Amino acid sequence: MSLKTNLPAGWSRRSLLKGGAALGAGLAAAPLLGRSAFAQDTTLDFWQFYAPDGEVKSQVDWFVKMVDDYNATMDPKVKLTYVVNTEYMNGTKLATSFASGQGPDIFIISPGDFLRYYNGGVLADLTPHIDAAAQADFPETVIANRMVDGKIYGIPMEVEPMAFYYSVKAFEDAGLNENDVPQSWDQLLELGQKLTNADRYGLLFETNPGYYQNFTWYPFMWQGGGEFQTAEGKSAYDSPATVGALKLWQDAVNSGAAPRQVLGGGGGDIVANLGSGYCAIQNVGIWGISAMDNNAPDVPYGIFKLPVPTGGKYVTVGGGWAFVANSKGKNPEAAAKFIAWALASMDPGSVQRVVDWCTVAKSDMPPRNSALEAGKEAFNKGNLAKFANDIHPGTRAEPRVPPEVYKIISDSIQAAMLGGTDPQAAATAASQQLDAFLASYTGAPLL
Amino acid sequence: MALSSTSETVAGSKPAASRGLTTRRREMIAGYLFVAPDALGLLIFVGLPMLLSLGVSVFDVDGFGSFEFVGLANYQKMLVDPLFWSSLRVTVQFAVMLVPLLYVVGLGLALLVQRTSKVNTVLRAMFFAPQMISLVVVALVFQLMVVDKLGVLPRSLSFLGVGGLSLLGNPSLALFTVTVAAVWFLMGFYMLIFLGGLQDIPREYYEAARIDGAGRAQSFWNITLPLLRPTSFFVLIVSTVAAVTGAQAFDLVYVMTKGGPANSTSLLISYIYQQAFQYSAFGYASAIATLLVVLLLVITVFFYLITKGGRFQYD
Amino acid sequence: MTDTAAPTLPASRMRLDTVGVVWLLVACILALMAIFPLLYMLSIAFKGPTDVFKPDLIPPRPTLDNFVYVLTEVPFWRYLINTFIVSAVVTVLALFFHTMAGYALARLRFPGRETLFLAMFSTFLVSLPVIIVPLFILVRALGFLNTWQGLIIPAIFNAFGIFLLRQYYLSLPRELEEAAIIDGAGYWRIYWSVILPLSRPIIAALAILFFLANWNGFLWPLTVASDQGLWLVQVAIANFKNQYSASWNYTMAASTIVALPMLILFLVFQRQIMDSIKTSGLKG
Repeated sequence: MSLKTNLPAGWSRRSLLKGGAALGAGLAAAPLLGRSAFAQDTTLDFWQFYAPDGEVKSQVDWFVKMVDDYNATMDPKVKLTYVVNTEYMNGTKLATSFASGQGPDIFIISPGDFLRYYNGGVLADLTPHIDAAAQADFPETVIANRMVDGKIYGIPMEVEPMAFYYSVKAFEDAGLNENDVPQSWDQLLELGQKLTNADRYGLLFETNPGYYQNFTWYPFMWQGGGEFQTAEGKSAYDSPATVGALKLWQDAVNSGAAPRQVLGGGGGDIVANLGSGYCAIQNVGIWGISAMDNNAPDVPYGIFKLPVPTGGKYVTVGGGWAFVANSKGKNPEAAAKFIAWALASMDPGSVQRVVDWCTVAKSDMPPRNSALEAGKEAFNKGNLAKFANDIHPGTRAEPRVPPEVYKIISDSIQAAMLGGTDPQAAATAASQQLDAFLASYTGAPLL
Repeated sequence: MALSSTSETVAGSKPAASRGLTTRRREMIAGYLFVAPDALGLLIFVGLPMLLSLGVSVFDVDGFGSFEFVGLANYQKMLVDPLFWSSLRVTVQFAVMLVPLLYVVGLGLALLVQRTSKVNTVLRAMFFAPQMISLVVVALVFQLMVVDKLGVLPRSLSFLGVGGLSLLGNPSLALFTVTVAAVWFLMGFYMLIFLGGLQDIPREYYEAARIDGAGRAQSFWNITLPLLRPTSFFVLIVSTVAAVTGAQAFDLVYVMTKGGPANSTSLLISYIYQQAFQYSAFGYASAIATLLVVLLLVITVFFYLITKGGRFQYD
Repeated sequence: MTDTAAPTLPASRMRLDTVGVVWLLVACILALMAIFPLLYMLSIAFKGPTDVFKPDLIPPRPTLDNFVYVLTEVPFWRYLINTFIVSAVVTVLALFFHTMAGYALARLRFPGRETLFLAMFSTFLVSLPVIIVPLFILVRALGFLNTWQGLIIPAIFNAFGIFLLRQYYLSLPRELEEAAIIDGAGYWRIYWSVILPLSRPIIAALAILFFLANWNGFLWPLTVASDQGLWLVQVAIANFKNQYSASWNYTMAASTIVALPMLILFLVFQRQIMDSIKTSGLKG
């Protein structure tokens, strides 16, 4: 073994220092490398969960065409960034990006999320870029929940009413046909139980906690005349209508007609549930039409509107995502211009674009009167006609609430539906929490 | 003799006294340099975030760039937040189920396969196999197995006469199902730890006991368990920390239940995550996270002291 | 079996055998139950979409379609390669740093050593979700979002490996090192030529464990690399379930593909892995 002390020691120290310096240099250089990946350009980044990597070709095509048409003549250009839908809605990408000041320039939001973004000050005012005729073209019920103080902050791309879909085969097997669709809640529950067997549930509501579950539950409360807040801004949640709605969902589960767990992507995923034969009737929205037609074409289905309770009035809820511009983005003016050009211009191209989204790319109700008129032929065909004529009239827009209120309502639904809590108790508890919150809330109004 | 001759052959040698100092200093410097990369790395990527977390916790952050100093308001909010307490309760429930189960299952499996044999080698590998797949896949497979009515497990249970159970949809059962998935995933690891401990127990003790007429059970209680004490400590503490931090549970809950049904699987860690990313309440989330870190630091110190400097000697 | 021992001995030996057989049976049943979920995953991976919930374990009409779909319709190869690169680089760097640190903390004397160890060890208890928000902000400030550095560097530093290596080095006999010191070797030389070769068994096992942990990593890659080009396999799988609804068979096929490399590695190296875990935590 060599005995030379100094040389190895010196070598070792030097090599360690060299190594350390290299590491340090690497770490220092990395930000530069990293930053070069984010080229400083003016392209507007449009985050959504449809294109260019989405599953449905017609939807991808719609987005790509829209952006290509815009980029052909306008500057700055718009670029599409695809985010997988569950990552978009439940994941960390949006929240972390906004928290670190790197939010997208254009993106889509659901009404449920509106207040969180508005109160956070990141929604750009779109009104200056939309002419009066176009503003009037959007019915009050559709646009109200994206407006604050008379200013528009989001342009809806669609209206998606909720209804019930049923499996024709399940009906036939039970000796039923389309005339046997339930009209009342009692009939619904009865039918659900009748159609339940060892391999299948009769009825399906969303069970996963989330904005979507709340969204699908609201109409049941409204049908009995219930609201979650009074005109004075106090809680109106503790009411017979609320209790009745909670009880409906609870009874559905307790009677064994409705499952406690849903398959696939959740209660809004019709192909995984109705399409796979997991349930016979599913509470799902208008998007079910194109989902079934594209992904489960061998499963015949029917649609009926939400049944009403005794003494109740028909109403359904309409969701629908909206384009919004980031007021803290690269260029909110340009972003707003893009949105106005795309969806909120009286230009026939814009109107047709809306019609195409609602009839070709998806099956949805349009958010604009002119689009309803322009596409009336398509809207009167097949299942879409059922929505246009039967279900859609009576649609109320999805409420917009801050996350705390969402949670209060969600907890009450979960407690009643899955936790076995007495609906009255759940409603009362939630109402008290709601009052406590509303008393100190200072953001934009809940709708 | 050897030392002095070495000092003469070394180039540029110094007198014995200062050579001793140089050696000491060299050792010190080497020590610091060797530890440096990891220490720095841990400092920057774990320590710094922990401190940042503490820093952010005294602000009210809205997730969109604006923040406001609020002192201890977030901590006060925690004390009266029913969801915080319920997630703390769920975490405790989870730990109370997970830790004993892991201990019993780990030890039980180790006892079953402790003898060296080809069969036992295969069996050990089978028990350890779950560690090879990721928690995401574990969650997906379990979710598929417990689907109401149609899944393998509910069907088997109905066959055995226990029908109609919703393993993930019933608030009273969901947490247990998640725990079972976690135990399944981790049991091989703890089995190995116990195997190591069991193998350290000298055979002579057992033989002496047998000669004295002791039965299996007696050997177990009077020899095995006491001599397993260091191992038991290790297992209990590591599994408790795993349960409280929810490192495994987080992934499982994220994929399987998202905190439902009715908040019955909403762990503290899930609550922190939810507050940060769904409510954009980063300040509040950091406050809860800081509390959790403090709790864990207390456990570490306790652990360190109990095991006398991390050497696991049982006197 | 001739024996001259007391008459009671053969009887007790026979009794032990019966008991032994019973325990063996119990162990076998438990082992089968333990790998059942894995078998189930395999079985679904080979089933067509309508057979997913049929109760038979062996698919009635086994098909490779799911695998074909997963590998062709989805850029799964890309994700596999990404994950391999990240796991390999992290493993190499981590082993390098941790052996150095473990050796220093076990053998080299310097002021504050024990405090430093305690401080480093305490980070073991901080799991990712607790620090994910500030860590994300930090990583973004360093410009590491959606980059290889962002995926790799934070994953290297984990106190568990340091802890195990320190335990191991504490239990190494000092003679070889002392001989080297007397011979006048520098510490780097000792580390490189004496300690590292002696650490081969534990390094082999830790290499597998680190690789495994990174192969199966989910939350950090999910947060730092949202660009699909940088996705790692577990993120891809989680999104699979939601993107391709009703496609349990695809998800299970993807899961099988992802689990397969690790299972094979495990089968090949299981002795080393298990031996090292067994001996690492407890020797004083």
